Amino acid sequence: MRVLLLTLLATLTLGAQPKVQPFVLPNGLRVFHLEDHEHPLVRARLQLDLAPADTPAGREGLSALALRMFQESGSGVAKADDFDLLLDGSGIQLTREATPSGLAWQVVARSRDQDRALGLLAENLLQTVFDPATLRRQAAACWRDQEGLGASPQVRLRRALAVTPGARPTQASLSAITLQDLIAFRSRVFRPDRAVLVLHGDLGLEQAKRLVLLNLGSWASPVRPVGDGDPRPPTAPEDPVRIPSPGLGLTLQAMAPPPPDLTPEVLALLDLLVPGDPLLPPVRVTLEGYGLVATLEPGPDTPAPQAMAALQARLAALSQRGYTQLELERARGAWLARRSLDSLHPEALLASALAEARGRGATPGSMKALSLEALNAGLRSWLAPDRFRTGAAGPPEVLAQLAPLQTPVK
Amino acid sequence: MRLLVPILIATLTLQAQVPRLSEVQERRLGNGTRVLLVQRRELTAFHATLVFRGGRAEEPTALAGATDLLARALYGTTWPEDVDPGKAKLELDTLLKQEEGLLEAVRLERLRQRRDAATSQLPSLEASLATLQSRLQTQLSTSPLADLCTARGGRQAAEATADALVASTELPLEAFEFWCRTEAQRLRTLQLSRFSGARAALSSELQRRGVQGMALLRGAALPGHPYGRDLADHLSALEALRWSDLRAYARRTLSPDRLTLIVIGGLGLEQALPALERHFGTLPTSPDSEEALLPEIPADLGDRRVQVALGGEARLLTGWRLPARSHPDHLPLRLAAQLLGGGSTSRLQTRLVRQKTLAREVTLQMDLPGSHLPGLLAVDLKPAEGHSLAELENALQNEILRLQQEPIPQEEWVKALTLLETDYLRTLDDPASLAKALGRAWAEGGDWRLLELDVQRLRRLSPEGVQAAARAWLKPSHRTTALLEPSATEGLDPLEVEMAKVLSTLAAGRIQDLAQREHLVKEGLRQLRMLSPEERRRTLNLLAAQLGPEKR
Repeated sequence: MRVLLLTLLATLTLGAQPKVQPFVLPNGLRVFHLEDHEHPLVRARLQLDLAPADTPAGREGLSALALRMFQESGSGVAKADDFDLLLDGSGIQLTREATPSGLAWQVVARSRDQDRALGLLAENLLQTVFDPATLRRQAAACWRDQEGLGASPQVRLRRALAVTPGARPTQASLSAITLQDLIAFRSRVFRPDRAVLVLHGDLGLEQAKRLVLLNLGSWASPVRPVGDGDPRPPTAPEDPVRIPSPGLGLTLQAMAPPPPDLTPEVLALLDLLVPGDPLLPPVRVTLEGYGLVATLEPGPDTPAPQAMAALQARLAALSQRGYTQLELERARGAWLARRSLDSLHPEALLASALAEARGRGATPGSMKALSLEALNAGLRSWLAPDRFRTGAAGPPEVLAQLAPLQTPVK
Repeated sequence: MRLLVPILIATLTLQAQVPRLSEVQERRLGNGTRVLLVQRRELTAFHATLVFRGGRAEEPTALAGATDLLARALYGTTWPEDVDPGKAKLELDTLLKQEEGLLEAVRLERLRQRRDAATSQLPSLEASLATLQSRLQTQLSTSPLADLCTARGGRQAAEATADALVASTELPLEAFEFWCRTEAQRLRTLQLSRFSGARAALSSELQRRGVQGMALLRGAALPGHPYGRDLADHLSALEALRWSDLRAYARRTLSPDRLTLIVIGGLGLEQALPALERHFGTLPTSPDSEEALLPEIPADLGDRRVQVALGGEARLLTGWRLPARSHPDHLPLRLAAQLLGGGSTSRLQTRLVRQKTLAREVTLQMDLPGSHLPGLLAVDLKPAEGHSLAELENALQNEILRLQQEPIPQEEWVKALTLLETDYLRTLDDPASLAKALGRAWAEGGDWRLLELDVQRLRRLSPEGVQAAARAWLKPSHRTTALLEPSATEGLDPLEVEMAKVLSTLAAGRIQDLAQREHLVKEGLRQLRMLSPEERRRTLNLLAAQLGPEKR
């Protein structure tokens, strides 16, 4: 009886969850609005997708450097310091994030500061004037960020593996970036038809429309520069990435980004099924934003090449595993139940609305229709040997034992 | 006057914006367990956090790492055999007991082997252990979806802090009764079936982590105090910690009278309380449960300095010993910390990074590692290219003096208050953050209401009060400075590098005071240079033989 009551309550309250209300500005900017008056807060996330062709060959790190320049340059209206003072003065949190697949701006503000928050977001996005005097300093800072010099060797290894070998920024590629490169990149990428904005919190739909139109309505697509943005030539797989860390134990990692044709439903179920699979120990597998990461920390007596072979063998065994119908049903049940947890996390609501907007969200209908064959095919395709990038962190003399990657994972 | 009016208006509107914590309902269960419930009708799930007061600081030295192990082995997962082993319990207990015996025998044999390698029984013992662990494996669930929480769509996480063990779960609303039953059963059973794996993983992590700057600072600033302890220096105690020791420790410390349950979600107290009372309310209170008596450490221990070469980037770490959260000066110091390092326009960020370009990066941490007892205010500065740690040290000291002596401009004051209050608002908005903050306020300050009271008291503080607290606490006699140099081994020959490593490891096990430890290493290297190359090698071998096999 009690269970029934709780289930009924859950069903009734499901309707109280913020509903996604989409609208599009005349300039092509897609906006998704989630109204929620529980607390006097407003969140906004603006996402710009990146394609490999957006970064010309020899200019790797362009997107990360551009984002740094947005943070450190002023606008026609205010200097960078004054801009930050305006944010802090109203307690507005503005964060910027660069991932291999996109750039994002996220704002959290009290609802009474929503006009100012959206205004400052638009000012940073549309009116920033790159300061050429800071370019070299920012390129150096960007290099330190990319290398993660202050981070642990394991974190540095993971970071290095997250990026496609040919797209990894180097000191040379960052130093080669000019102001013209940044301006051309901005013209290519910073276009309203390439952006998605999600708004969540204590503002109504009409107010949201008014605010977005007022602040981002004048965002026009610049003329696309000619000759730039050609796809980079494909690069050969490199040696395993090596991060020397004298005096510390060996860590081996293999990372595979999800295949482009992997459906969100398969991705969601593999997230539940793969980590902790009994075939894996002593290898640990996690699914992270940029892909599947397998880690092995062998004992001091295991030679590095043997440990690398063991890591690859575990992944090969997993790829051939094949899930059963019962496992599929259990994972599907867990996924359907887990959806309600999004209501606990405002950020998760934003992320889920964004994924849906970009056609990358799993839906209950497609999840119910997912077949066992599709799930197993997705697993095999993800764990295909040629998808993996491998690397190691450890003492230099141990890393030297690792031969260049001759054969892919079998 | 013109300035005062907008400030007054800003302050008044801030007060109107900050929501109250009146939505928290509190109850005590029959056995002393405290329940805090926040009903949010729009939620279709719930977040629950269990906070056990105590934490790393209350661990006896012989049980160093026990809280971390409980976070992993008790709360990391929810396997059926850990919460409801049923008829298999007897067999599982027997196997775990046998595993404990064999693990201990292997450990002792490894120690013995260091003295007499000729007659080792290690291979046969290791083979027996491997056989036993394969039998044990057959008793344990393996599929990820056998985890009872994951199978219901839930997520769980646990964390050992200096002042508490904190375990959180999120589940759909309909799984509330399941959660109550499971958590109570977990505490009754204390099976810890994955104990040996968790201990090995923790030990391996600590060995791979290397020396951490902040751990060095804590050790130097709080010598001999539990807050200054670095678990990496207690690896041998961790490796000697047994399954039955940990169970006994858990029975003593995870007692209902030391537990606060925080539930935030779409259910009210009248719905939740019967299940909570039925499951948690019937947990037995441990007769041995008692508050640990922890040593006091004087704040004015003197100005301490450590110079260490860790490799990596150069950093200047400075820590001031602060009062505990219950002390009246704690809140003014929090505001002082906000003025110094909170937000992207704080004083250290503006002056040291942007204006003087002496530093590349500034990080400020309050209450390191906790605040139930006096902890630290720590500032981490990374020098910009071409600038030395000495320059940074001077510049930091100038900023501290400015804070203590020059009047605080009103705009800066209002900005600091605004940032702290919007932080609070974001905390209220996110159930996981709210549960964590309520739990911290209770575990560190003794009262969950401090979360809201602190925000109200902040508004009553005056700039002069903050400056007085800064003068009383951020002074040289409370300070510890750690200068982390890029590499100690630059310019040393390989034998000296090896010797420095061996001496540091040996000293870490015997001397807690970091300054003394550094001195010993330097003195050892100085004496080594007086020997011939052959004698140096022999000395190194003799010293290396003193290390355990895991540290060689």
